[in-house]
Amino acid sequence: MRIAAHPGLYDVEADPPTLSGTTCMRCGRVYFPPMAIGCEACGASEAQLRPTPLAARGTIHALAQVHLHHGRPPAPFTIAEIQLDAGPLIRATLARDEEDPQITDSVSAIWIVTGTGDDGNEIVEPAFTTAPPATETADEAARNGGNS
Amino acid sequence: MSTLGQLRRVRVVGVGLHPYQRPSDTPYTRLGVHAIRAALADAGLEWKQIQAAYTGTATTSMGMSRLMYRHLGATGIPMTQVENASASGSSAFRQACIEVAAGLVDVAIAVGVDKPLNVTMPQRAAGLRDLADGRVVPFTHFALLASRYMHDHGTTPEQIAAVAVKNSRNGALNPNAQRRKPRTLREVLAPPHISGALTRLQCCPVGEGAAAVIVASDEAINRLGLDSDRSVTVLSSVARSEAVYDGENFDAALTRETTAQALDEASVTAADLDVVELHDAFTVEELLYIEAMGLCKPGQAAPLLQAGEFDIGGRVAVSASGGLLAMGHPIGPTGVGQIVEITTQLRGEAKERQHPRARTALAHMVGVGAVCVVHILRKE
Ligand SMILES: [Zn+2]
Repeated sequence: MRIAAHPGLYDVEADPPTLSGTTCMRCGRVYFPPMAIGCEACGASEAQLRPTPLAARGTIHALAQVHLHHGRPPAPFTIAEIQLDAGPLIRATLARDEEDPQITDSVSAIWIVTGTGDDGNEIVEPAFTTAPPATETADEAARNGGNS
Repeated sequence: MSTLGQLRRVRVVGVGLHPYQRPSDTPYTRLGVHAIRAALADAGLEWKQIQAAYTGTATTSMGMSRLMYRHLGATGIPMTQVENASASGSSAFRQACIEVAAGLVDVAIAVGVDKPLNVTMPQRAAGLRDLADGRVVPFTHFALLASRYMHDHGTTPEQIAAVAVKNSRNGALNPNAQRRKPRTLREVLAPPHISGALTRLQCCPVGEGAAAVIVASDEAINRLGLDSDRSVTVLSSVARSEAVYDGENFDAALTRETTAQALDEASVTAADLDVVELHDAFTVEELLYIEAMGLCKPGQAAPLLQAGEFDIGGRVAVSASGGLLAMGHPIGPTGVGQIVEITTQLRGEAKERQHPRARTALAHMVGVGAVCVVHILRKE
């Protein structure tokens, strides 16, 4: 069992990570983070907003290495805007060992371990990388990401 | 539906400031009253002649207006706090203009005052979560924009930093600015690095201060014997909020829409603007907004800035006050302080900072949410 660092934003059982998005059944707009209450684009009610798993895969749109940060994770770390293949432009953290990422690079998510829960289960979150090891098992990916 | 310009004419008749400064023990009441007394003296008005007060504030306290205004003598006038993030002061000024234009009162004051005591974020209140939760504060939001701007236009980090060099030069001439040292490019680029291309001197200081602007109808100017020659007309006042934009970044898109509407309502073009105060909280924003306002073509702001077009004495003076980067960004006061600066410029009273032959000027703020407020003023 893995525990999500951000409950409700992704499916911890999926490998590779899958993001928990929303699709508006009235206007077709796809959201991540998920949209509740009503659609920002067309005002459709919550009944029209359907959970939609989104592949955590896309292209780097913008990048910033953060040098000043109070709290976790300790700086420096890199935040990217990622244009998901599934539509939304999202913000996420790049994997720590990412070397020289560039705007327009293709990226996809791996699991990284950010801590251990009270029950000994790993707390995970997705981080994006330009070179995901395609054949790696989830546990290996999590270990590699977490140790970097 | 009417635009502001189609209603009764509104003119700025008095402006005042308390210098922007690092947070201190001075209570907001004292900061605000200092600016209000300066604006009253500038206008030649007494407090009892003010008929409505709007207070732009975002980080101090609820219900804070009367505790401040009472020190001028309690007259029982309506008082309203206006919170609109960084655009709080601009929005307070807009409300004062609307009330005079509508004919509800003849003389109104907009006061911006804040101390960074109580800074809150709406996402937390809304219970929203994000993969980058807590990791993307405003400087990283704008560092991301800077990376994309450099990618799209081939702009260098040095060209972005040049905005802070120019604005520090202007701020050094402004006795009310929080940062009063002219900085070289080397100093601006020096550590500490904050996020992406942004260094400390490319991020605005958030401190405390106050700004006050009094607006009046023509009838009041005549009746009260105010100096019409020093008054400045509010040509247009436009506020918008973020819509759904595909691809284009929302800060630039919202600025483009709001400015276009303000120019249209004022019956002027971007080429008519002599002085522009804009939301340069981070260096890259000045380049983005110069382009979004139509002051130059996309991708041209950096080379034109280097060529001196946006200097005092250039084609159009941008951030002649020093902008948020040098004058400072105490939040509530900022948008009102922009009106103080452009009024002073249009009156020809800006001394060493004076942009020659300033006739038409624009003030622009964006605020998280996102909102945008633009005013255009003219010396007739
Ligand atoms: Zn919809």
